Amino acid sequence: MGYKKIKKDQLNTFLSELSKDYTVVLPSRSGGQVVFAPWDGKNTDFLDWYKNTIIPPKALFFPPVEEMFRFRKGEEGYEIEELMPDKRQQIIFGIRPCDARALKIIDMLFADTYKDPYYLRRRENSLLVGLSCNEPCDTCFCASLDISPGQSEDVDILCTDVSDNLLIEAISEKGSNLLSEMSGLSDAGSEEESKAKEMRKSAKEKIARQINLSGLQEKMRSNFENREYWEKASKKCMACGICTYVCPTCHCFDINDENRKKEGKRVRSWDSCKFPLFTRMPMENPRHEKWRRMRQRYHHKFEYYPMNFGTIACTGCGRCIRECPVNVDVTEIIGGI
Amino acid sequence: MMVAVEKDKGDSLMEGDNVYIPHVMKIEKVIEETQNIKTFHFNFKDETQKAQFSFKSGQFAEYSVFGVGEATFCISSSPTRMDHLEFSVMRVGKVTQAIHELQEGDEIGFRGPYGNWFPLDSIQGKNLVFVGGGIGLAPLRSLIWNVLDNRDIYKDIVILYGARSPADLSFKYDLEAWDKDDRVNMYTTVDRGDESWTGRVGLIPPVLEEIGPSPENTVAITCGPPIMIKFTLQSLEKLGFTHDQIITTLEMRMKCGIGKCGRCNIGNIYVCKDGPVFTYSQIRNFLSDEF
Repeated sequence: MGYKKIKKDQLNTFLSELSKDYTVVLPSRSGGQVVFAPWDGKNTDFLDWYKNTIIPPKALFFPPVEEMFRFRKGEEGYEIEELMPDKRQQIIFGIRPCDARALKIIDMLFADTYKDPYYLRRRENSLLVGLSCNEPCDTCFCASLDISPGQSEDVDILCTDVSDNLLIEAISEKGSNLLSEMSGLSDAGSEEESKAKEMRKSAKEKIARQINLSGLQEKMRSNFENREYWEKASKKCMACGICTYVCPTCHCFDINDENRKKEGKRVRSWDSCKFPLFTRMPMENPRHEKWRRMRQRYHHKFEYYPMNFGTIACTGCGRCIRECPVNVDVTEIIGGI
Repeated sequence: MMVAVEKDKGDSLMEGDNVYIPHVMKIEKVIEETQNIKTFHFNFKDETQKAQFSFKSGQFAEYSVFGVGEATFCISSSPTRMDHLEFSVMRVGKVTQAIHELQEGDEIGFRGPYGNWFPLDSIQGKNLVFVGGGIGLAPLRSLIWNVLDNRDIYKDIVILYGARSPADLSFKYDLEAWDKDDRVNMYTTVDRGDESWTGRVGLIPPVLEEIGPSPENTVAITCGPPIMIKFTLQSLEKLGFTHDQIITTLEMRMKCGIGKCGRCNIGNIYVCKDGPVFTYSQIRNFLSDEF
């Protein structure tokens, strides 16, 4: 299937059509922040201001707080009621290529050995409509991770904003099937296609920030016990955990019970390796000191994850740099090893 | 001589099962081992679940008190004795406190088994030396009973168990049974005795060196507090045991038990999924000063 296009002022019609069978989630403003939220059925102005969301799309598959099951004490003892996400299909409209890659990366973990039913159910029921970046942020460094602002392989459909039009390209079979059912799309001309390609190319060239990955695993291994390096690197870190919260690949979680009299829920919530309680045991804590926790986070992403799953668990989205209150910069710390 | 340990491949899970949903189990018996350690005998409420369940010595599970939370403990009974299951808990925090309050007839959540297991196949035909300290005997006793229930396929068996004081000795009924069993060389020691203690006094590592088991065709299996393991490994080396002849089981803070929640790693190794059973050779290769 060739490229399709739709006039940007007609996007409303397209989204309405999608909304019939899907819950459409797209970038919206909430409390002064940009987040993915169900479409309100009206606004399509995100194309004018959207760069990326503060909370990564992992939250749509692995929510910050998730009720796993309910338990209730009855006459015959405890009864358990599984709380699975509903089966309605959702479309994530406007996901950035880096964030789509991040989902591929954490898929490996959630589908490994013991399958995570909550995450995988939502993944199976979702379709990703990507939006290439025309104007990357100055914190972006995806190009160093082999991801480009116009990357298409991790989404089902890729859109590119080309002046008055949105150029639409089916990538997966799922995406192709969906597009073939849509009315209101017209075929794009070769001129528009080359315009889109050009824009993606120029966006990639705009990415100035880099992370030096050459020989990184070797370097990290030999630097591992360089306490001085990690103490210095973590000196200003406040261990607030925002880097893990906004990271599209950070997946660590906690499991707790909420209880009221004879019934309650088991709840999974995001956790952070930046918190000392994360690994605390009654008699000891292997990562009691802040520098050990910072080292763990970077080694996990750049050394352990590649060893275990064959890919670095960083996409260069730059959120951790943007949101860090004390300007800790992953590219500097990794680059300095 | 190589003793290889395997990895948890997740095959205990049936197709379509939600791995996070626990079985509801009934506590059948509570044994007060010491002032802060209790052992619980528990059983499936559902006979079908009971019939389908299996595990191997060394594996662990996630246990929960509904409304309080989950915690990780090994299954301390032997797979050769499936009438009921057992686990032992030291009271150290919120969940373990709630577990200690449980009584016969109360219900718990149980999901598992997870993790790898002691390499039963590769220790066949060998002399076995078990060295346990404190509650660290819990995972070993699963294997010990497993081995004793198939006594003929193993050679000499030495069990050395130690605790800080006579009052800290757990599983006294096991110690007594093994002491009486002439197919086992049983040694019990305490760091400090009391007025009524007539047994051996001394730390585990020097006592082990004194017993001096030969490393010839032998595998040593040890578990206990980190400091005890550290010196026991040194003593075993002194006795001539190679790193492949020593097996231990590790404890790290866990939540999910299935390699996802991110806290129990030592380097790229996840204790819940790649362990908890490791050979000393493996542990020495861990790229980490965190261990």
